[in-house]
Amino acid sequence: MKRVVVLGVLGLAIALGQTPDLASLEQTAQKRNTEWESIAKDLSERMARILPCDPRYAAGITEVSRASEARLAALADYLRAASAQAFAETATAKVLLNTEERRAVEVAMERADTGKEQTAVDTQSDALAQSVKQRSSLEEPRKLLEQIAAMVRQRAAASEQQASALDAAVQMLRDLVTKFDARDAALRDESIAFEAERARWNGYYAARLARAQTECAITQIGTQAAPARSKGKQ
Amino acid sequence: MRKYSHLGLSGMLICCAAGLIAQTGRDAYRQAYDVWRKAHADLERDAATGGPEQVAQADRAGAAAASFEATRIAHLKSSAEEAAQRRQAIIFQTALTRPSTDLEPQAAPGLVAGELQTAARTIARFADDKDRGIQQFRQALERERVALTALSDSIQASQKTVAATSAAGAALEGSRIKAAQAFGHQAAQLSPTMEQLEKESAAWSDYYEKLAHAIQVTNAPPPPVNVISAAPRTDSLPRVSLPRFVGAWTYPMVNGIFHGMQPEFVDLVIHEQGGHADGTLYGRFKPPAGSATDPVVRFDFQGDFSGTATQKFTLVTSDGAQGTIELIPGPAFNLLEVNFQTAPRVNRIRAANFILVKK
Repeated sequence: MKRVVVLGVLGLAIALGQTPDLASLEQTAQKRNTEWESIAKDLSERMARILPCDPRYAAGITEVSRASEARLAALADYLRAASAQAFAETATAKVLLNTEERRAVEVAMERADTGKEQTAVDTQSDALAQSVKQRSSLEEPRKLLEQIAAMVRQRAAASEQQASALDAAVQMLRDLVTKFDARDAALRDESIAFEAERARWNGYYAARLARAQTECAITQIGTQAAPARSKGKQ
Repeated sequence: MRKYSHLGLSGMLICCAAGLIAQTGRDAYRQAYDVWRKAHADLERDAATGGPEQVAQADRAGAAAASFEATRIAHLKSSAEEAAQRRQAIIFQTALTRPSTDLEPQAAPGLVAGELQTAARTIARFADDKDRGIQQFRQALERERVALTALSDSIQASQKTVAATSAAGAALEGSRIKAAQAFGHQAAQLSPTMEQLEKESAAWSDYYEKLAHAIQVTNAPPPPVNVISAAPRTDSLPRVSLPRFVGAWTYPMVNGIFHGMQPEFVDLVIHEQGGHADGTLYGRFKPPAGSATDPVVRFDFQGDFSGTATQKFTLVTSDGAQGTIELIPGPAFNLLEVNFQTAPRVNRIRAANFILVKK
């Protein structure tokens, strides 16, 4: 069990060590967003002023498509890193829960031990109270033993409270781990949805470029047909 | 220990006790507890009629109680340290990872919707056009519209998942803060318990000493109400617990505590007769590399036990030098601090300070 925990922690450390800086990845993703947005928002307007067979027409669409790919790649990098970091946190929480659950069991046993100590000192106290009747010099240790008994009782009560507090804390940790799992599941869903969206963006720009090629082809059909007809007419 | 005082004597000695016992787990203190209970047996009942045998038993029980308390404290301390370490876990220290919700361009849905409308309008405009080229153009637009519709659906689906992750992250963060507080509070409770145990440890030591003294005094009628019997010991010995000094002591093989020159081994034997002490110390130390200092120390000492907790005697080394030795009881019954000094001699060790464990 110890080996599993050690390996888990080691793996976690490696995972954390390999996770790129999220802040810089986020910054890059935002930069790529801005770049894409600045050329994507007026794509149709710009294309309207260029003839379909003008090389700038296809180049304009390709430029936006590449900016989109760069944006989506940066976002993918960010999401991947965020997920790795999040999953590492979950692993830490699970190792912690495992440790705390075992500790809670130990604390319950220690509480029982304190109970036994209390019983023993109470028994000693009773016995000494009897002995004082025969030997008066025992009165002073008897008083001291009573004080010790009171201290042990106080500690037993504190031990009881600590065990309850730890049980409650462990329950909170269990709930926390459930929420970690829920967050991770949400992150996985987000990644899947993102990949689907990424494919759709690429599909859209491919369709847009295909339309541009069609527009050019139609224009070329018109310009190639006209001289033939005029030749016929001649 | 004068020199150790600045290091936190009690903490050091407790660490030492823990090291000597080599175990800090529950099993270790349970074992020590069983030894204590066995040594204790029916001491309080037997004290009513007991004599020297019960006095010796009280000393043994006192030593066992001290050992148990030291082990128990060491275990608790170890638990507290582990708990503090666990609280350092990153999930308790910093906010958890929550992917940014700002990375989906705000303009994207509007842009897609605009393109979709344009495509739909254009398709509608050329719906009835029979021109082959126009039909090809309309088909290309149809494909673009399908792609845009799929993209629009994907963007909406993505937005939902981003919102779900954000909500899950917020719920997680709330729970994290609560759990961190709960564990922080739980770990903070260990410190008062440790203090309580230390008080109990001192009280047990005091109790066994008083019990031993009480058994030694001549039986007397029950004291009048509100009068505390303060009967002195019947012998001439000072009110010190001799088992804290008398016996054979050794430097532990591992986790030994020292100040100044490090001992390699030390054996100390102390005898007592009629309040008079005599003893022998024999040890080998580790002088600095290249030093010509003789590593071996051997001396005898003697003197009367005083009424103070710390005992000081004069010593004479095997080569005739004079000096003093201080013996200071540790918090555990089986620990004794030794501090000796001799007159300066060439290539001879003249002072050392370390903690011994009872054999």
